[in-house]
Amino acid sequence: MSAPPLLRIDFAARAESLADVRAAVQRALATQHVDARAAARIVLAIDEACANIIRHAYRGCGDGHIALRIERRRGVLRFRLRDRAPAVDPGCVKPRDLSECRPGGLGINIIDDTMDHWRLRPLKHRCGNVLTMVRRLHARKA
Amino acid sequence: MMDKGSELRREGDWAVLRIWGEVDLSWSQDVRRQVLEAYAKAKWLAVQLDGVSYIDSSGIAALVEGFQHARSKGGRFALLAPSEAVRAVLELARLDRVFPIFADLDAARAG
Repeated sequence: MSAPPLLRIDFAARAESLADVRAAVQRALATQHVDARAAARIVLAIDEACANIIRHAYRGCGDGHIALRIERRRGVLRFRLRDRAPAVDPGCVKPRDLSECRPGGLGINIIDDTMDHWRLRPLKHRCGNVLTMVRRLHARKA
Repeated sequence: MMDKGSELRREGDWAVLRIWGEVDLSWSQDVRRQVLEAYAKAKWLAVQLDGVSYIDSSGIAALVEGFQHARSKGGRFALLAPSEAVRAVLELARLDRVFPIFADLDAARAG
């Protein structure tokens, strides 16, 4: 039997939800004694992922919801974000060249840099997408 | 003091926009507007960030727009005293090598 999730929340896909989501993630990470620097990075990465869903998947319409689930399996944290927005083409979601100084598009870089791996998967037979992000807790720089 | 906010003041040739609190998607468009509007007060703009406890990429984008505006108009743009939270994201985005960053306005004037 798998361990219960560290956090499972469902929230409105609105920018105003993000502060509460960050606080909830912070609390969940504190229960696992994640060091402050790593926790700050993880909170930022999850915030960026949620912001991308709000802005790009739901296109800021504000009617959708996002479900976040965090679980720990041994020394690995797994974050799962599920939305019910129209399918997103995973091929369009990739880090950008940071040598270009331009506004926007940094969120994926932050996720990519913070997580050990991540995968965006549109649901085949239902509306929505699932973003799974994995981060090892040890043997990794913050 | 409110948990987040901003104030704009004029110091000689500089407009100084002080921002505090958490800058995320819920507020960053407003910050962007304030940054761009501050150029109406002065040709040179400094954004004071010591009170920013959190910033995401949308907040960083507002700063990048301010920087680009200054470059396109021949003005100056500076970040003053970025908090540790701001510095961490600037470094992650490699923008700490791009933005002029100073401890205070006197240092920016001299820089």
